[in-house]
Amino acid sequence: MKVSIDDVVLPGDYCEDIVNAGEKSKVILGPGLRKEIDKVYITKSGVLRKRAPNTYWVDSYQKRYVPSRAENVIGVVVQKAGDTFRVDVGGSCTATLSYLSFEGATKKNRPEVQVGDVLYAKMLIASKDMEPELVCVDSHGKKGRLGVLNDGFVFKCSLNLVRKVLSPNCPLLNSLKNEWPFELAVGMNGRIWIKAKTMRETIAVGNAILGCEYLSDSEIKSMCTNIASLLAGHVS
Amino acid sequence: MGIEEEKPKAFQLKPMKCEFNFLSKSDGSAILSQGDTVAVVSVNGPLDIKSTSQSIEKSTLEVLYCTKGGKPSVADRYKENVIRQTCEAAVLGSLYPRTGITVTIQELEDFGGLLSCCLNCTCLALLNSGVSMRCTYAAITCAIDESGDIVLEPSKQHLDTARATMTFVFDSREKNLVTSVTEGVFSEDTYKEALARCHAASDLVFNFYREIIRKYANVI
Repeated sequence: MKVSIDDVVLPGDYCEDIVNAGEKSKVILGPGLRKEIDKVYITKSGVLRKRAPNTYWVDSYQKRYVPSRAENVIGVVVQKAGDTFRVDVGGSCTATLSYLSFEGATKKNRPEVQVGDVLYAKMLIASKDMEPELVCVDSHGKKGRLGVLNDGFVFKCSLNLVRKVLSPNCPLLNSLKNEWPFELAVGMNGRIWIKAKTMRETIAVGNAILGCEYLSDSEIKSMCTNIASLLAGHVS
Repeated sequence: MGIEEEKPKAFQLKPMKCEFNFLSKSDGSAILSQGDTVAVVSVNGPLDIKSTSQSIEKSTLEVLYCTKGGKPSVADRYKENVIRQTCEAAVLGSLYPRTGITVTIQELEDFGGLLSCCLNCTCLALLNSGVSMRCTYAAITCAIDESGDIVLEPSKQHLDTARATMTFVFDSREKNLVTSVTEGVFSEDTYKEALARCHAASDLVFNFYREIIRKYANVI
């Protein structure tokens, strides 16, 4: 079936608008789109979106992570193998992480990473034919916010929720950050790490995030005030 | 498709109801009822599988079918095979080499047309899981009764007395025939007529898919 921008699409549909735009200038096909000979076909169900000038993608529901380059993810170290660590990021196979890709690491000065540690890392290589590779430094050799996450609490959620939380339009983090202090790391692989002062506060942040998946912006704001007042003990 | 114009009201299918994410832990799941026939499907993947069953060029599809009684039989293996081959035609496995996709089907109620219900439910669960697909597909069952008439989506009573039953699967791109499963005795002309009728009825299933996705797209 022929579809256009902002339509609900199913796999097997094709979009002529993209082909027409492609004749004039370069277009970028995001997730859920695939070029076959002279047509652009949809491969995922959801809503076809466009961002000016020429980026197209399909907003779809997904829980399973498929690694892609330059995404920040949260992984768990499952094995130390010689000079690399194997990190479980939720994809189809574990990712590798060299011990040299930490800030200030040398052959003599190895980073202190144990099996079972939680890491916040960036995907350096992610292709369907190769094992994904992670790094914990940026291109200047600085760690920035990447590295081992100590203490805290990790939980899993759908990839849509992660995108929603990270979206600049989402009021969730803006409303929560004024209520009580906490640290948060959101991995694009559907894992979220939280660290707050007490267990009550940690659980409150977790519930707020999980609760906002199907709520509108105004509902999220009222939920956050609700949770904050519950936590402060005004309402029992 | 001359038949469609003559009898537009004959293309009423049993009411279909569907719910996504019926199972919380699997990557994609759906429950579908077509009339009184109900099936649940869970899809997991792409995930790691043992290296003997890995394929370097495409993902390996594994289909498990559980009956209500739980006892596996040869007929179930055959059904698994039919569903696996249909799914393989629809899923873009080449995007996930050396991985496995597991499809688990549980029969809940069988009041006729279970195979087509399972196939449609599998398609919906695959859509929910976010696995890249070449196209969607729709399955329609029909029966040829004693007098040689074609009954779309037959009930259990119809199936008990039917001379033959047929299940056809069509893809959503060109509406081509993907799978055809037949049982019993029938003439070539009857087969062609049944095929044409099911072909026309498949549009209703595709419309239903789109409605369901539209409903769920509101909350993404």
